[in-house]
Amino acid sequence: MAKPDEFKPDSPSENPKTEVDDENGDDGYEEEEEEETEEHELDEEEDDEPEPQLRGRIPQSAVRMQQAKLQGLFQRLQTQTVPLRVHDVLIKGNTKTKDYLIESEAALFKNCTTMQQILEVSRAVNFRLQALEIFDSVKITLDSGPPELPGTSNVIVEVQEAKSPLSGEIGAYTKAEARSSTVEGTLKFKNIFGHGDLWDGSFAYGWDNLAELSAGVHFPRFRGASFPLDVRAFLLSQDWLQFSSFKERSMGLSVALLSSTNHDLVYNLGWRTLTDPSQLASRSVRMQLGHSLLSSLKYTFKVDRRNSPLRPVRGYAFAATSQIAGLAPDSRCSRFLRQEVDLRYAIPLGILNSALNLGISGGIVFPWGTGFKTLPSPLPDRFFLGGNSSPISSLGGPTTVWGYRTRGLDPTEPRRQLKSNGGDEDAADPGVDFLGGDLAVTAFADLSLDFPLRWFRDRGIHGHIFASAGSLERLTQNAYKDFSLQKFVSSFRTSVGAGIVVPIQPFRLELNYYYMLKKFEHDRGKPRFGVTFSM
Amino acid sequence: MEESRDGDWTLVARKPYFGLPTACPVCLPVYIYLKFARCPFNLEINSAYPDSDQIPYVEGGTYVAYNNEKGGVIQQLKQDGVVDLDSEFSSLPEWVSMKAMMSSWLADAITYELWLGSGENSAKQIYYSDLPWVIGKVLFVKQVYDVKQRFNISKQNAEKKEEEIYDRAKAAYRALSTMLGEQDFLFENRPTSLDADLVGHVLFTLKALPEDSVIRAALLEHGNLVRYAERHKNDFLTSGQSSASASNFQPPPSAAQASSSSKPKRKPKREKTEEEKSFQRKAKYFIGAQLVAVLLFLSLLGSSSKADLDEDDED
Repeated sequence: MAKPDEFKPDSPSENPKTEVDDENGDDGYEEEEEEETEEHELDEEEDDEPEPQLRGRIPQSAVRMQQAKLQGLFQRLQTQTVPLRVHDVLIKGNTKTKDYLIESEAALFKNCTTMQQILEVSRAVNFRLQALEIFDSVKITLDSGPPELPGTSNVIVEVQEAKSPLSGEIGAYTKAEARSSTVEGTLKFKNIFGHGDLWDGSFAYGWDNLAELSAGVHFPRFRGASFPLDVRAFLLSQDWLQFSSFKERSMGLSVALLSSTNHDLVYNLGWRTLTDPSQLASRSVRMQLGHSLLSSLKYTFKVDRRNSPLRPVRGYAFAATSQIAGLAPDSRCSRFLRQEVDLRYAIPLGILNSALNLGISGGIVFPWGTGFKTLPSPLPDRFFLGGNSSPISSLGGPTTVWGYRTRGLDPTEPRRQLKSNGGDEDAADPGVDFLGGDLAVTAFADLSLDFPLRWFRDRGIHGHIFASAGSLERLTQNAYKDFSLQKFVSSFRTSVGAGIVVPIQPFRLELNYYYMLKKFEHDRGKPRFGVTFSM
Repeated sequence: MEESRDGDWTLVARKPYFGLPTACPVCLPVYIYLKFARCPFNLEINSAYPDSDQIPYVEGGTYVAYNNEKGGVIQQLKQDGVVDLDSEFSSLPEWVSMKAMMSSWLADAITYELWLGSGENSAKQIYYSDLPWVIGKVLFVKQVYDVKQRFNISKQNAEKKEEEIYDRAKAAYRALSTMLGEQDFLFENRPTSLDADLVGHVLFTLKALPEDSVIRAALLEHGNLVRYAERHKNDFLTSGQSSASASNFQPPPSAAQASSSSKPKRKPKREKTEEEKSFQRKAKYFIGAQLVAVLLFLSLLGSSSKADLDEDDED
């Protein structure tokens, strides 16, 4: 915080100097940082004459006068508006980083009209420059403006570029282009071309048998644009042999065109290959094996006004994701429309910090183009219900019905039957493939409450009782003609349960007991204890 | 995919082109084999997986015969008792040597010509025309590389290898042409998988490969092979699906398929086919025997009448 020693607003100081060095806030970065302590020093002029710089030459009475004046200045800064505007922003210390990058972050100074605003903006600019991850330290100093322009100051932004361009991270992330949360290890190269560019190579592993190798570059303000640009090349492999008898391999480019708190716009261009090394796939899966080109635009709007995504007690959250695939001049690429919607609402109940969380998620996917009514939807883009993540914290479309295992809900299809060597008798049952649905809806209600013991409350450990329901339906290949709302509603599977929630930032760990109230023949779910892990 | 719903069996093959029901040289013999066996089947096209060694495959219910298992689709269909045209010939030395020659020399010649010879454009049409351009281009380059690796071709030995492959193909054509003559089939005037392989090879070479293809020109020197293939092509393209014969192996019902009208269980296909052929053979013998008997009777009758006339003259 600003702590000026002395300031006279009525007589413009010829030599005022203010240094504003802010700490980095709770940005979550794990790189090394330098903390700069704040200093505010103001030199006072005496009767239009330059002030003596050394305290040793000033008599005691003058020192006491200066201290009193500074006290008065501090009080005035707190209670009054001190008019001051910025004449120029000077940048020092950048040998590699382009000026435009720092100037664009410091552009907020131009609109400042008071000392208080300048100090506030200084903190914001310092934070944003530190957030670029390319500087070891950032120091912002206020200097006096030109003598012919009273009431102005110059801002000096002094940066110290990172000595080591290399850094590493391990963390848990949820990216716009990823389908689930991942644990990721990253190696970063910073500011190679001086545009604030961050180059990284990373390896990620997700909970749903996802492995991804990617390399990307992040430009905070590419060529003066007001929004960042992210480009990633990825090689992704996902193994669904156990559930649906296919493996997916994708390689391509992902470009985050717009990324902000509420909006994400990502373009994906990928070559996707589905294979079946087991050679046991059912007919519907066999029909989809092969190569396809995916060129899609995905837009996500998300607003989360809950007090905490790990344990929401009040507030609401809404997310909608729209994806259109087939954006290429080549009509032979994969074409479909996909829409997901999530709504969460937390109602505080007032006793033992209890809350009722309600949520509903829905999704639909449908092909488009010539003959779209008879075409199947792409298998990897369908909706699959089941898994070990909690629907409370995740806003990624209809994915989970508590208690059902990964991809554990109908529709299914029998796999290839192998003939035994003995003759016409069937070999061991190879099981079924879970095919997913084109339409999916899930809903849940969760009552959470604190335990009476303080030990649990202090650690955020609480209990919950829940109920959930969900269903999948095929619509493509003319199956929509047989669709009826009544039939769909009657096909909902339901489960109830209770458990303990242990929040381990940034994860939510649940130890639950599930009981299925309604399930179908091939659904993979049964009364059991289970662990849910989500972030 | 495109489907034609005519029967319980489905052959999944690559796309039709050049006037052929399936333009892939590996899929076409399987198609012809099923036609020879008069096995009703649907033809489905897979254009998204050109580098798969599973295609062609035959499926029926939960049964699938992949091409990369048990020696190929045809061999699997024989072993699983679905359809077997080779039961009486598969142990003959001539049959075995012809089969080996076709599956090695002639198959290698087609592979070489398609990917490294003059058939490059044909290969792109058959395998990659339904894929996005980028994917098709990369897969084609990869396939050319794989074929070179398979034949162990380098810059130093490319010409020598090419000459070797073409010479073997020409030798195979001479042998097959000599063996076939002007017969309808290679063995005992009955279709076998060898005929399916040969008809498929000849049709592909004539229709899919360009006119400057070396093996195409070598094949045209043997007119009987060309006539033989054209004759059978006309037969199975105009005969349509025959539902008279039933499969020997009843495909297990698939739970995911839309419920169709339940069909009565048919007799095993193999027995009926052999029975039918046996009956036809016996019928021919019977007719032949009757004809001989009539001729004998007429000749004996004629000679006895002459003897009577001679006796009358002497009196």
